[in-house]
Amino acid sequence: MIRVESLTKVFRRPHTFSGPLGPLRTLLTRRYDERTAVDGVSFEISAGEIVGYLGPNGAGKSTTVKMLTGILTPTSGLIEVDGRVPWRDREANARAVGVVFGQRSQLWWDLPLIDSLRLVGDLYDVPAARFAGSLRRMCDLLGLDDFLQTPVRQLSLGQRMRGDLAAAMLYDPPILYLDEPTVGLDVMAKQAVREFIAETNRLGRTTVVLTTHDLADVEALCERIILIDKGRVLYDGGIDDLVTAYAPPRRLVVELADDETRTFEIAAGRPIPELIAQVAAEHPIRDLSIREPDLEGVITRIYAESER
Amino acid sequence: MAEVVRALRLYWRLQRAAMRGALQYRLNLVIGIAAGVAYQGSGFAFVWVVMHTFPAVGGWSLREIAFLYGMRLTAHALYVLPFSSLIGLDWLVREGELDRVLLRPLNPLVQIMAKRLGVGQLGDLLAGLVLLVVALPPLGPASILFCLAAVVGGALVEAAVSLALASLALRTWNTLGVRAFADDLFSKFGSYPMSVFGGAAQWALTFVLPVAFVAYVPASVLLDRTGELNVPAPVAYGSPLLGVALFALAYRIWSRQLRHYQSTGT
Amino acid sequence: MIRPLAGMARVGMRFQFAYRSDVIMSVVALVAQVFLLRMVWTSLYSGRESDPRGLTLEALLAYLSLANLQAFVTTPIIPMIAHFRIRTGTVFFDLSRPTGYLPQMAAFQAGHTAGGLLMLAPAIPVVLLVGTITPTEHPIGYAATLALGYVISVMMSLLICVIGFWTLETGAISLLYRLVSHFFAGTMVPLSFFPGALGVLADALPFKYMGYVPAAVYVGQLSGGQIGRAVAVEIGWIAALAGVLWAIWRRAHHKVVIQGG
Repeated sequence: MIRVESLTKVFRRPHTFSGPLGPLRTLLTRRYDERTAVDGVSFEISAGEIVGYLGPNGAGKSTTVKMLTGILTPTSGLIEVDGRVPWRDREANARAVGVVFGQRSQLWWDLPLIDSLRLVGDLYDVPAARFAGSLRRMCDLLGLDDFLQTPVRQLSLGQRMRGDLAAAMLYDPPILYLDEPTVGLDVMAKQAVREFIAETNRLGRTTVVLTTHDLADVEALCERIILIDKGRVLYDGGIDDLVTAYAPPRRLVVELADDETRTFEIAAGRPIPELIAQVAAEHPIRDLSIREPDLEGVITRIYAESER
Repeated sequence: MAEVVRALRLYWRLQRAAMRGALQYRLNLVIGIAAGVAYQGSGFAFVWVVMHTFPAVGGWSLREIAFLYGMRLTAHALYVLPFSSLIGLDWLVREGELDRVLLRPLNPLVQIMAKRLGVGQLGDLLAGLVLLVVALPPLGPASILFCLAAVVGGALVEAAVSLALASLALRTWNTLGVRAFADDLFSKFGSYPMSVFGGAAQWALTFVLPVAFVAYVPASVLLDRTGELNVPAPVAYGSPLLGVALFALAYRIWSRQLRHYQSTGT
Repeated sequence: MIRPLAGMARVGMRFQFAYRSDVIMSVVALVAQVFLLRMVWTSLYSGRESDPRGLTLEALLAYLSLANLQAFVTTPIIPMIAHFRIRTGTVFFDLSRPTGYLPQMAAFQAGHTAGGLLMLAPAIPVVLLVGTITPTEHPIGYAATLALGYVISVMMSLLICVIGFWTLETGAISLLYRLVSHFFAGTMVPLSFFPGALGVLADALPFKYMGYVPAAVYVGQLSGGQIGRAVAVEIGWIAALAGVLWAIWRRAHHKVVIQGG
């Protein structure tokens, strides 16, 4: 469904000079600042997958998604989405993808939600009968009925996000890009968004690419993740494999009598009772627990290693 | 062809939605129109006040100047009504709004144009048409046709310059100041007989920034004053076509720059 | 009392510098405007025997250049700032400071004007040259009428700022104000050319003190007792505007307190 090969994007912009005559010098000189945002990224995603595309801020996630959607033209490398080259065939590609930005709504701010959905239907040439069916399905899945007539600017963040998801899926695109769809939402709203994504993927075999900082989204939805940092792929594969491969050691956390908390790493192969006995001999223990490695810990460790 | 019809239909739908949104700020709208009339009115009021004391500007009578002014103003209004949202392009790029435009299966320029109708500029159109009709010299049907074509051509000249400059905003340049300046030159210098400004300035306003072709050159044709022009008479007769050519060129520049669009670079 | 106001003035000045590329373009536009007026008026005067309204072409060109420079420098920024701050609600920070809201705005405007003057400095010789300006015979009269005219201009824009508390929208109003004030300040035609009722109206409005009056003093069209009278009327306007501002501000402040509660 999506094929990316040695994808690279270098941003090039005129060097800005400071000082009172700075703007003039910027205009007249031909000096450029270059920054490589995506550096030889390759991956393949098949139809019906939900893939988490993860990385710290500035890793190149958004730039990749912008190239996948045809907003940006790659500096070099190959992209194919549903058999098309997005930047060359932008409009056809646009019909095949739905995009949700958590930070920015595509809905018309001053108009009732339903008007925005109708306009999206028009823009994507959805025939009236199919539109009615799609709208019904979206309303049922997302519970839009209560606020269809409310101007978007009066919607809560959670309601607005549900509206945005509906707008992105109204024309049944086979691919859905989600950029931080749960940012700023409360627990209930997050749950609703995740359920919708899972449902869409299950019913319509929609391929989903999800970028997020909330690893709970990833754990709930994705079987596979692609980790990038500084424009390069660090890991591509299943979540379970990742945790096994990179698993930091389990840890023993003990609370001491004087309210102090100490953490001990459990080296691989060492019997735990032995460790506990050793710790108990040296310290007065009040309570203890064992921490299993989690995704967050794994990913933090990978980032830290890529820093070195 | 079907593609054009679809674009027009969607333009109309989007525009109607934008209007419904804007109608929620009625007071703003009314004051906007009033400001438009006042702005253009104060420009012509200058001419009117001056010509109380002086019979002619560069050999043109008040009536002739009013006709020139009317042509310029109507052309300006025809340009600015559909293109008024282009003014906000710098902002659209900076806020990442252009990303969304590029995500939709419709020509980006059509989408930007449909973001807002310059209803405030209805004042310009009104003032321009009134001047044009009041000061219209006796013309035959062919001349009337030429006049209409010239006004549309003039609108396209202004639109072309504006679009070409605005497309630099796609490279994240700050174009607002330059565009405001070009607009200023069009509206201030476009309404006078160019011979007033002297050779060098007239040359620059004809061949560097084509202000003269918006109204002065075609008005000279209609007022039978082609002898004063610094371009040969056949060129003057063909002036409405220049707008079409310039706009086609500007659209090419726009498309090229769009390909180099860097988004917000994140 | 003085420290916070000086701070506000500095912010105003920095604001001017932050938009310097736009400002540079508008300075270029100013030079173009003066050039346009020069050419149009030279063409109008050509072939005339006597000088209309007793103004020689040289005096007229000097007048126009000065009036435009003045209008450029005195164009108020605070209605725009106030509009933005009322819309976004940040105006409550201004209101919560111990210094009054109107003095803060006035200080901001003063700083902004000073910044504008600094940036305009390189353009002044050009404008003076294009407008062929020679030294004046009434330097004190010019300075006095201009300074008082500036105070009137700031007070008028404060009035617009305050109106913003009711309309919540001053963008279009301030544009309208700018157009009307520039026209009636006589930046394109000296008021003495205004015919009939328009002339009477322009004479009665306070806008002429921002452009026409000081510039006319400079080129010698107003002199002696006329200068004294102009200064007296300007002081009268300032007193009247102060009264109006005070009365309206009290009601506006009341309104804000209610909205904020």
